Amino acid sequence: MELTRLLLILSTVAFMAGVVHAIAALRAGRWQENKWQFLPMAVGFAFQCAFLYLRGEMHARCPLTSQFEVFIFIGWCIVLLYFLVGATYRLSLLGLFTAPLIAILQTLALFMPDNPGSVKHVKMSVWEHLHAPLAMIAYAAFALACITGVMFLLQDHLLKKHRIHALFRQLPPIHHLSRAIMRMVALGVLLLAVAMMSTFKIHLPISTVKMTISWSILGLYTVILLLMWRHTLSARHTAWLSVLGFFVPFLSLWVVIGR
Amino acid sequence: MLLCLGLNHRTTPIELRERLAFAESKQPEAAQQIKGLPGFEESTVISTCNRVEIFTSCDHNNPEQGLAVLHDYLVNHFQLNPAQREALTTYKLSHADAARHLFRVVSGLDSMVLGETEIFGQVKAAYNVALKAGATGRTLNKLFQRAFSVGKQVRNGTNIQRGSTSVGSVAVDLAEKIFDLRQCRVLLIGAGEMSRTCAQSLLSRGAKSIFISNRSYDRAVELAKEMGGQALRFDEWEGALHDADIIISSTSAPHFVVKPELIEPVMRKRHGHSLLIIDIAVPRDVDPRVNEISEVYLYDVDALQAIADEGRRERERALALCEEIIEEQLRKFGYQEDSASGAALQREEDDNPVLPLTPRNS
Repeated sequence: MELTRLLLILSTVAFMAGVVHAIAALRAGRWQENKWQFLPMAVGFAFQCAFLYLRGEMHARCPLTSQFEVFIFIGWCIVLLYFLVGATYRLSLLGLFTAPLIAILQTLALFMPDNPGSVKHVKMSVWEHLHAPLAMIAYAAFALACITGVMFLLQDHLLKKHRIHALFRQLPPIHHLSRAIMRMVALGVLLLAVAMMSTFKIHLPISTVKMTISWSILGLYTVILLLMWRHTLSARHTAWLSVLGFFVPFLSLWVVIGR
Repeated sequence: MLLCLGLNHRTTPIELRERLAFAESKQPEAAQQIKGLPGFEESTVISTCNRVEIFTSCDHNNPEQGLAVLHDYLVNHFQLNPAQREALTTYKLSHADAARHLFRVVSGLDSMVLGETEIFGQVKAAYNVALKAGATGRTLNKLFQRAFSVGKQVRNGTNIQRGSTSVGSVAVDLAEKIFDLRQCRVLLIGAGEMSRTCAQSLLSRGAKSIFISNRSYDRAVELAKEMGGQALRFDEWEGALHDADIIISSTSAPHFVVKPELIEPVMRKRHGHSLLIIDIAVPRDVDPRVNEISEVYLYDVDALQAIADEGRRERERALALCEEIIEEQLRKFGYQEDSASGAALQREEDDNPVLPLTPRNS
């Protein structure tokens, strides 16, 4: 088996193990917020880093040359942001919700065609190097906003239905989650805006469909952000928006990367 | 030889407990006095609202003899009259049972509220007082250090402190899952005892301010003064809804006082800011349909009680594991299995008040 593929499988297994362990601990009422909860995520992340490093060396550029690599790169960005957000907002349970998404992304990637040898080496400017990674990190931020939105909706549901059990106690307060969603969306909008601005400096041809979709996603999330900032909608509705909104960038990956 | 003489909320009524409480400033002196009794080498006095306990190390061969000296000290120190002496019921423990008891106390297993955490700090403070007074030595230092480590292990390794066990603490837990309590404003409608307890729990955990509205304005003013809040006339509370994050309602009205028609416009103006309503009244003050409004979380007294009951059950389920940890730690500390029931306290009136014990390392 090819080394990069093996690394990817190991990384996926680590994330899955993290989910299984967390669910078992939660069910037994033994879940505790501590540094060990980060371990499966850290191991999975290390394998992701190794995979991306090898692919980057192979292409002599950021490994975003196929749908296969884009899925792994987004997964890597999500884990990176999870480490930052989890530590900052004490949302380590976010890992329980993040790990399955990464496992799904990577499992999907494993079934995608992968032919790294066919990638043409093209001379690229700094802007061309920056554009795609920045956009992918923005997508990862939207993914984390989506996951945090799911946590918000779950906590809201438990509070409404008076289901005060282990998961309720481990989930962060809804005002924390609400703030975390807004910050993730804001980060995503900022990064995607920079990525889109960089297209004005790019000389390589970019398809109109790709540009239209990317600008539309930026527009959509800017509107969501404004609605959050101005408190036009309730926190519950904005959580729904962050969850449903993510389907747009997620589904667009199939269109955008193909061009 | 390790001895413990004590009384607590289970053995002694409050009238006598308060008579026997050692004032904080008197504890070093008491520890010194006990250490100075013939045959006694070390002592620590624990005195809280629920318990008075004396832990000592002595060279008496017979534990009964040492415990009788401690009992007499207690009677004489507080100058108990014959009726009080008669009413005084203590538990007398030695060796492993004394150590086990301390481990259980520090872990919150012997507390009125199972698994409460305050006792840990209280025992630590009492030990530090005795340590500074020079009343402790090798035996008690080792015992208390081990007890603190057992207490931590029990709390971290089990669910003994998980969940809330009283209506007041459930209200606080719920509020903390919705708001930043430091920014929270509480509105009390009606001034029943339980609603007051809830409000006080919220204030003690950092709630920002409180408005109190009651049919009797004088009572509202009195309560507001007591809690450091603001009194409202009963016809003014609806106007305060916009500013409140938590409403605690306990009026004696026979009909719903808080209805969806009242809350819906309020929520529209709150721009998605959540509202927690705690309805302690029976019959209920708040129409249950209020819970269907987005961002409104309504809990009536039954819901709060059910959560508190579940919290208690969860702690009770954890009890067996806690006892296992304590027994294991006792063995590691050097005590063999001895009494049939590790948790049982031997009282003065028992046929065999002091258990025969065999410390491995004594």
